[in-house]
Amino acid sequence: MRAAIRGLGIVGGFGSGIEKLKHTLISGKRTPKLIQLSIKKRTIEMPVYLCDTSPLGAFLNKRALRRVDHFSRLALLGSFLAMEDADMLQADHENFAIIIATGYGASNTTFSFLDTAFDDGDACASPTLFSNSVHNAAAAHVSILLKARGPNLTVSQFEMSVPSAMLAACQWLEDRVADAVLLGGVDEYCSVLGYCWQRFFGADPPVSMKPVEWKTQSAIIGEGSAFFLLTRDEGDEPKYGFITDIQIGHVRKYKPQSPGDAFLFLGADGQKSSGIYYNRHIPHGARSAVYTPLYGSLPVGLAFDMAIGALSVREDTVFATPKHAGKDSGLNIFGKEQCLNSERISCLKFSCDGEFAMITMAGT
Amino acid sequence: MTPLPPIPVTGIGCLCAAGNNLTECMKSLFAGKRKPLPPTRFSSDHQVAYPVFEIRKTIPATRSNQRHDILFTAELALSAAKEAAENAGWNREMLKNRRVGVCIGTTVGSAMNNEEFYRSYRDGDNPNMDPIVRFLNSNPARAVAREYNLTGPCQTVVNACSSGTDAIGLGASWIRSGICDVVLAGGADELCRVTYNGFISLMITDDSPCKPFDANRKGLNLGEGAAILVLESTDLCRSRKHPYHATVLSYGSACDAHHLTAPAQDGRGLMRALNAAIGRCNRSPADVAFINAHGTGTPDNDQVESFVLHKMFPGIPYLSTKGYTGHALGAAGAIEAAFTIACLNAGKIPASIGFENPDPELPAAPVKHQTEVNGTIAITQSLAFGGNNAVVIFGKGNS
Repeated sequence: MRAAIRGLGIVGGFGSGIEKLKHTLISGKRTPKLIQLSIKKRTIEMPVYLCDTSPLGAFLNKRALRRVDHFSRLALLGSFLAMEDADMLQADHENFAIIIATGYGASNTTFSFLDTAFDDGDACASPTLFSNSVHNAAAAHVSILLKARGPNLTVSQFEMSVPSAMLAACQWLEDRVADAVLLGGVDEYCSVLGYCWQRFFGADPPVSMKPVEWKTQSAIIGEGSAFFLLTRDEGDEPKYGFITDIQIGHVRKYKPQSPGDAFLFLGADGQKSSGIYYNRHIPHGARSAVYTPLYGSLPVGLAFDMAIGALSVREDTVFATPKHAGKDSGLNIFGKEQCLNSERISCLKFSCDGEFAMITMAGT
Repeated sequence: MTPLPPIPVTGIGCLCAAGNNLTECMKSLFAGKRKPLPPTRFSSDHQVAYPVFEIRKTIPATRSNQRHDILFTAELALSAAKEAAENAGWNREMLKNRRVGVCIGTTVGSAMNNEEFYRSYRDGDNPNMDPIVRFLNSNPARAVAREYNLTGPCQTVVNACSSGTDAIGLGASWIRSGICDVVLAGGADELCRVTYNGFISLMITDDSPCKPFDANRKGLNLGEGAAILVLESTDLCRSRKHPYHATVLSYGSACDAHHLTAPAQDGRGLMRALNAAIGRCNRSPADVAFINAHGTGTPDNDQVESFVLHKMFPGIPYLSTKGYTGHALGAAGAIEAAFTIACLNAGKIPASIGFENPDPELPAAPVKHQTEVNGTIAITQSLAFGGNNAVVIFGKGNS
């Protein structure tokens, strides 16, 4: 199971595009915005990594984007950026497959649909909002606007959405059911999610994420999309390298098995409930990096780490973990940028239930 | 194209308005029974009480412990999984030591749309988190994996109405690629006020019992249920000398890339999915005993399917079973896969209930009466929002 990464499209709180991501990795700058939430009759401020999808205007006109919600815009912007990066925007996409992984889908539209029924009665529920609230609406918009007529799949498995989607992508490439697979992880912020966050994790929002302080709840909500244009290994050297291995399991029975020389990119995102698994299952002194403070905590965060992994392969560089990610983790966390030396990278994610996924990437 | 190795189906579990298990369902289908009624678990302020196919019997208890509060969708998935696992001769202890994956399609099971919670939130009442915890506990694939202590890949497919069919095709690929020895694959969905309002808003809901492919069809009736197939590697099936009901011969999937809710009128996506599936199973249309159509009863869907089936499989009998079950959305493809296998083995298909008056606009009509069928393979197909088309081809089993 091996897939070549030909293009990357990424949208996060830091901006959009692979060069924006690179700039953020080098600067280490964190960009959450403060939003106001009303909880128990008091207003609190909460940091969230929010995205701007206006750069989508460079690819699609207003008419094409009419009635397209924020979630689908995140997906479209990530998709078009990945296609542009691969120099495939003008190509024939007839035999391209589309796969989208999402933790919660288009939550804002889901609740907006409920608003229409609450406000004006069941008979006035909005058909447009309903059809856009369906989980696979974003994948449909991408297919329609790219004219991609291969298989189309949306999966929703919370933190394991991205690896389970990646499994399907590699399978489809191997079985030759598509010439290429455009795969992305997408999740959005909505105020209900903010409310849930506060109720679950307490009324005092964290000031910054400290993901390797395993016992500290420091997660800050993120939103965005990360897309990959994948093809079969065609015997060349794709600029972002290859996905060489996908492991999915549960700590009840397995442990993630990283190739001996691989750098570990940890998906630890300040969630105490999953932090304990990193602490328990990563060998002491393992060469690790954590980038979640740059993009936030979201179910499809693994796609962001994979994008950073692919960029690291392209640059043959392991970027520094942002400062203040935490201390005393027992790991060898990179505080400074260093050469990758063509070694492998394994992106590791644990869910709060003990499921794990590890996706390994390499330049050759 | 090289044909794919067939994947044995060693167990089937199915429940819906037609019955609480596969035997009951098939009995209802062949007896021509159906009874759609207005929903009883929720109310609405529509002037018309649109009928639905609700599961009215209590479903058997399935969970080893009640630690997690879960949605009815997850309960349905667990009930179908239990029947399927028992039917395949597996129990929790035996599965624990195998590489077992779970791949389940749904729509409602993945939607965070609890109305009571949201109304309270909107009113500034600081609702308690129980409905959210219940939603988080109810991802259908994860719920089944948790119940059986399974540690293989877990995937919830949210491809709208083709989810169940896609899940079976994807699950079979996990066996072929050697990732899993066993996969529990299927779909689950419950009736829900939100989707009820949604489909009515789209004006594709019939206010009387649905009439797939009929000249007077007005739309669909919603339904609910779940079906799970136990897919198993040939080596494992052979080593434990277990009979199999059918084999998954192939899966085809394609997107219309045309419209968010309406199928492409030329049926290009469906034809592409059918061609992909046929091309990968090394069989010809002459081997096809029958086709289980998606057959929702909406004017557009039925027109496209009739056109494509007439063009690609002229003379081969086809039916829609949604007249017995309603449209169970993410579960529909899996429920119909279970029916397809049962019919292939029985050598007969039930009447396409609701179909009375042929539509002169449709080039091919479904079977009006119970029909004997010959052939070694059967096709089940699903069309979905987003222009998705999914097809699974089953071969006869040895059970």
